[in-house]
Amino acid sequence: MNASGNKSSQESVGRARCEELAKSSSFYRKVYSEIEEIGWEPLRRLGGDLTFFSFHILDKKGRAHILEIQLNRDYPKSPPSVSADVPYMFALEWSTTSSRLKDVMHQFQKHLDNLQEFWSVLDDIDKSLCVVDAKQPSRASPVRRIHAGNDCILIVHVNFNDPKSLPECRFIGHMNNLHMLWRRNSKKWSMEKSFPENLECILGTELPRPQGLHDENDQQQVDCGICYAQFLPTDEELGARSGTRTDYTCENMSCNKSFHSLCLTDWLRSITTTRQSFDVLFGNCPYCSDPVAVKINNMNRVNKTNQS
Amino acid sequence: MTSSGAPSRNKVLSKIAGNRLQKELTEWQRNPPTGFKIKVTDNLQRWIIEVMGAPGTLYANDTYQLQVDFPEHYPMESPQVIFLPPAPLHPHIYSNGHICLDILYDSWSPAMTVSSICMSILSMLSSSTEKQRPTDNDRYVKNCKNGRSPKETRWWFHDDKV
Repeated sequence: MNASGNKSSQESVGRARCEELAKSSSFYRKVYSEIEEIGWEPLRRLGGDLTFFSFHILDKKGRAHILEIQLNRDYPKSPPSVSADVPYMFALEWSTTSSRLKDVMHQFQKHLDNLQEFWSVLDDIDKSLCVVDAKQPSRASPVRRIHAGNDCILIVHVNFNDPKSLPECRFIGHMNNLHMLWRRNSKKWSMEKSFPENLECILGTELPRPQGLHDENDQQQVDCGICYAQFLPTDEELGARSGTRTDYTCENMSCNKSFHSLCLTDWLRSITTTRQSFDVLFGNCPYCSDPVAVKINNMNRVNKTNQS
Repeated sequence: MTSSGAPSRNKVLSKIAGNRLQKELTEWQRNPPTGFKIKVTDNLQRWIIEVMGAPGTLYANDTYQLQVDFPEHYPMESPQVIFLPPAPLHPHIYSNGHICLDILYDSWSPAMTVSSICMSILSMLSSSTEKQRPTDNDRYVKNCKNGRSPKETRWWFHDDKV
């Protein structure tokens, strides 16, 4: 038995299946022993017939990569085909007599090492600029679309062989004279500066910063889903409600939208499907359509607490 | 012309409406819907938006203009959205620019935004299989001669396929 008892149940199921299959055929036996050489720890997925698996690999900077390997039935006569989230694949060196899966892993690891600088540049862009569709940035794509403010988008194409060099750059949208500046100032590009610094230096303007995902979530919890503000405006018409925070939250846990009860009341009153019973309005949340109920005269309550 | 009579009757935006529109505009600029371009003006109450027909549809390479007018109490009420002439030929778009689309009228909710309206309109255009006017176009347009807003029309939303 193996002494390290921290294997997940999925792995041990996969392992048990492989052991079973290994007994039945030389192909399985070979593949099984080659996976054993790499170790079970990085194995993420395993095809039922042992011809497909994926490994989880960390590069020098701790970025996680998935390497997918597909085997032919006549493996190792034909080399495995490999794929991963990289801008280009390495040319696999394969000897039908001596190469094994661990060699594929080594070659992939080397390939990752070569791409470190490229990904550092991409990470820098994703971290410090406002990238379109930034939620799942691709490590394979050398292209980044960056908001340059004023309806203009900058499309940069990072050279993966020389990531710190001047990138190809196009502009779409309302571009003012950014493309002229780009052409005129592109010799100012310096390998010493970071990518975002270079962009800002050439364009002579500060580019928008990314909105942190955390911030956005926090915002959503406090901003009113109707007026989009956290605080009501100060306005004589609103009386004691002037400047108050959101005070109503949809009870549907997966919706959880916040509102000013004033905004929600105004909305519910403006549609015909709302029902009123005593001082409570019954209607539906404008976001998730679940039932909501708001008291309409808690205006007075606010007044009282203010006076006491 | 019938298209721009109504908004002059609009009262100025309330503070709440102004704040919300300011935020929608900022969000639009940060993350503009594909196929749309807003014409920058200093009038927050009327947005003119350019629509590019989606590639691979009947309206590919066509450009149209939407005029969006916001009521005093937006978003409690829907904005008035019409096409400026020439309006696209579409079974749900009248020659005076009025658009038969439920979310602009009965199905409006403050959870929607200008950006989501634009997307609905583009998807309505994109799913059309022939460029033609609604069958009751002439009758309807004649009824609107005095500059009536489409929001005063009692709409029947009979066909959600196009």
